[in-house]
Amino acid sequence: MAHNRNMPSTTQIYLIEDDRTVLQFVQHALALRPDWRLVGHSETFAHARIMAPNSLADVYLVDLGLPDGRGEDMLRLLALTKPEAELLVFTVFGDESRLISALQSGATGYVLKGCNATELVEAIEQICDGGAPISPLLARLLLKQLRSSAPVQAADNSGTVAALSERETDVLKLVAQGYVNKEIASRLGIGTATVSTHIKNLYRKLAVHTRVQVVRAAQERGLL
Amino acid sequence: MSQAATPKNAAGHWIGGYLVLALLLLMLLGALHVVSRPGQIEGVVRVQHVNASLPDRPHVAPVQVALPHILDDQPPAWWGRVDYAIPWPAQLHYADPAQTQLALLLPRVGTRFRVLLNGSEIYHVGWHAPQESNFLTAWFPYLVILPPGLLHPEPQQNALHIQVRGQLLERSGLWPVQIGPHPALFERHQTLHLWQVKGTWIMFITSVLMGLLSLYLWSAVRERLFLLLAVATLAHSVRLGLSVTLEPVLSYGWYFYLHRFSFALFIGFFFLFCDELLGLRERLVRHLCWFLIGFSALWLAWTLFSQNYDYHRLWAGITLALAGFMVAWLLFKAWRRGSLQADHVLVALVAIFIFVTGLRDFLVVKLNFPGDADLRWTTLGSLALLFTLGWVLVQRATASTREVYRLNQSLAGMVAKREAELCQAFEQLHAAQQQRAIEGERRRLMRDMHDGLGSQLVQTLNMVRSQKATQDSRSVESMIYHALEELRLMLDSLEPMEGDLPTILGTFRQRVEPALASAGIELDWQIEEVPALAGLDAQGVMHLFRCMQEIFANVVKHSRARRVTVRTRSDAQGVYLSVIDDGIGMAVGSAPGKGQRGLGNLRARASKLGARLRFFDAQPGTGVEFVFPTPRPDAGSPSKGPPLQASA
Repeated sequence: MAHNRNMPSTTQIYLIEDDRTVLQFVQHALALRPDWRLVGHSETFAHARIMAPNSLADVYLVDLGLPDGRGEDMLRLLALTKPEAELLVFTVFGDESRLISALQSGATGYVLKGCNATELVEAIEQICDGGAPISPLLARLLLKQLRSSAPVQAADNSGTVAALSERETDVLKLVAQGYVNKEIASRLGIGTATVSTHIKNLYRKLAVHTRVQVVRAAQERGLL
Repeated sequence: MSQAATPKNAAGHWIGGYLVLALLLLMLLGALHVVSRPGQIEGVVRVQHVNASLPDRPHVAPVQVALPHILDDQPPAWWGRVDYAIPWPAQLHYADPAQTQLALLLPRVGTRFRVLLNGSEIYHVGWHAPQESNFLTAWFPYLVILPPGLLHPEPQQNALHIQVRGQLLERSGLWPVQIGPHPALFERHQTLHLWQVKGTWIMFITSVLMGLLSLYLWSAVRERLFLLLAVATLAHSVRLGLSVTLEPVLSYGWYFYLHRFSFALFIGFFFLFCDELLGLRERLVRHLCWFLIGFSALWLAWTLFSQNYDYHRLWAGITLALAGFMVAWLLFKAWRRGSLQADHVLVALVAIFIFVTGLRDFLVVKLNFPGDADLRWTTLGSLALLFTLGWVLVQRATASTREVYRLNQSLAGMVAKREAELCQAFEQLHAAQQQRAIEGERRRLMRDMHDGLGSQLVQTLNMVRSQKATQDSRSVESMIYHALEELRLMLDSLEPMEGDLPTILGTFRQRVEPALASAGIELDWQIEEVPALAGLDAQGVMHLFRCMQEIFANVVKHSRARRVTVRTRSDAQGVYLSVIDDGIGMAVGSAPGKGQRGLGNLRARASKLGARLRFFDAQPGTGVEFVFPTPRPDAGSPSKGPPLQASA
């Protein structure tokens, strides 16, 4: 385990994954981008709980199926301790139902494990550039989730209202219909980056309630 | 209808009830005895002997007679008018007639009479009425005030006469009279009037009500018991009504016949009722009842014809004896059978009571046994009987209601039990259906894994084994990639997409787009929101994925297309999905072999989806269109509708 304290502009990655072949794959992929660094790796939940929050990483790749704990719990911890970091779920399949749960726990995106090295690098780049991967089914689930939770959140005395804006609804609807970001941008007359930003905002909206809860819990316990 | 059985645990309660009832009846007998006791009232003289003479036969010398003096028991000469000279009692003194308040009490006299004091008529009932009119005074007690102005200054000089005009068969004549101070006699008169006249009226009204109620119940439930009771009580009402009528509109003959025969009817039907109530169906009792009624009809006619009171007396004796026998017989039979229920015992007790009162009246009134014949005990006895019968009537009438309630409760219990069983069976059925559905889904997944993923992996394995030396890692990677994609496709189909066609197509696009891109084919995505399709469950989604795979595989391999358009739209008839390429087009009938098999698979899967399949010439290129018909309100789900033909 090593912690490289490089220049701030360098993207630093922390991997939480028990499969060593995935570690090798990530290392192989990062060879494509010499300015990126794998600054840490944990194979267990216990190790990650101690080490990951103290890392200076910008991007965390988190496997949901850790041998000694739930990936969602790790995401909550990192969302609290590293609020500016990108938290990517590293998953074999889309498994959108579980992804929703991960996003609510604070994840800001996901990467499919079956991708090749180039695709992994592109995914991380997209995340760091403010984008977010999304599938039609995930969009559909998000639409349902945010619509149904909006009244609850509106009544929340925290004052945080995570209702969908009209534009976000349009974006989600189009994603759910299978349109890709470029087509959505064209249809809505906005830039592709804006589409990505909307999606990323949606992820954060989904997690915001969780984040507020986590912060409150931490404050109550005297951690903050 | 059967009478509801009295619960055994109520037996103790009922024994207590019987005791109370028996005590009440005994107290009533005691009260009757006290009231009708020939007691001496202070200052009042009871006259037991008088001088009787016949005004119509002046030559016949007056004779001293004892009271009661009943004309029916005398020779025919006495059957007309009789004059009774009441000797002034020696102990009845007064100094000044104007200061006296004396009266004469006639507890029973008749059937017409008048009272003369010192030659002046001071009271009469029906005396001056025409001979053919019918007067019956014997049922009423009379209190006659002796006017002070007519009294002789010397008490012993007073001449007090009571003249009676008799009616044969009515026990006409004079009963012991009482002379004394008016207040004391007034009180006695009130008592007699209450028991004799008012009591009879009360009984008459009760009896009529009971009869009408029984009649109504009989008409409502058609139970013979109620009809028997109705006839008995209404007959009794007739007798009572006639008894308290001073001047009946009927001639005496009809009066006599109706009055006595209604009593026979009452007794006969009452015992028929008792027999029915006890559920004994005793032939002997029934025969005796009908015999009594028939015998009475004839015997009373004969009595009327013969004008002989002895026949009447005999009839009364036979009736009483038969009644006594039937009471004893029914009780004996019921006791032997052990079928005595609460109501039965109640009726039996009261029947014994009324029998005792009847026997007493017969002995005292008819046979001149010692006792006060001023009062008839049967009046009260019948009243007790009527109230008891009323109680039984209510019990019987409500028994059916209670039975219906009990049956309803029982039925409700059974329904609840059956419902619970049905629920359980339904749950079991539901569980079995769920199990079958799970089983079906498992088989489908296994088939898909076998045909898709398994086949891919086997191919890869075979390739790796056969080309060990010259292994093309790119081929292996590609094959494993396809296997993974296959698995992802299968997992996608299991996601909850709720029949949303655009999302299903979007999911498929993610899987197919890289392949299209590498083949240099541009995807033109023209997807609109369409209504959800019920046929697109997990299995339906997999069918659609396979169809789309087949179509896109054809486009990539054979069409030489540069662009593929995927489009959805909907109208009132259905939802449309079309895939159109700009390739070389498909010559129908010129693609035998595998191509034909592919089309066959497409049609089969479309049919399972409940969709029509149509191929068309897109000029250039080929179009494939799925039409998912909108379900008609009465047609159920598309998959259950009529088979849809796939047309080329």
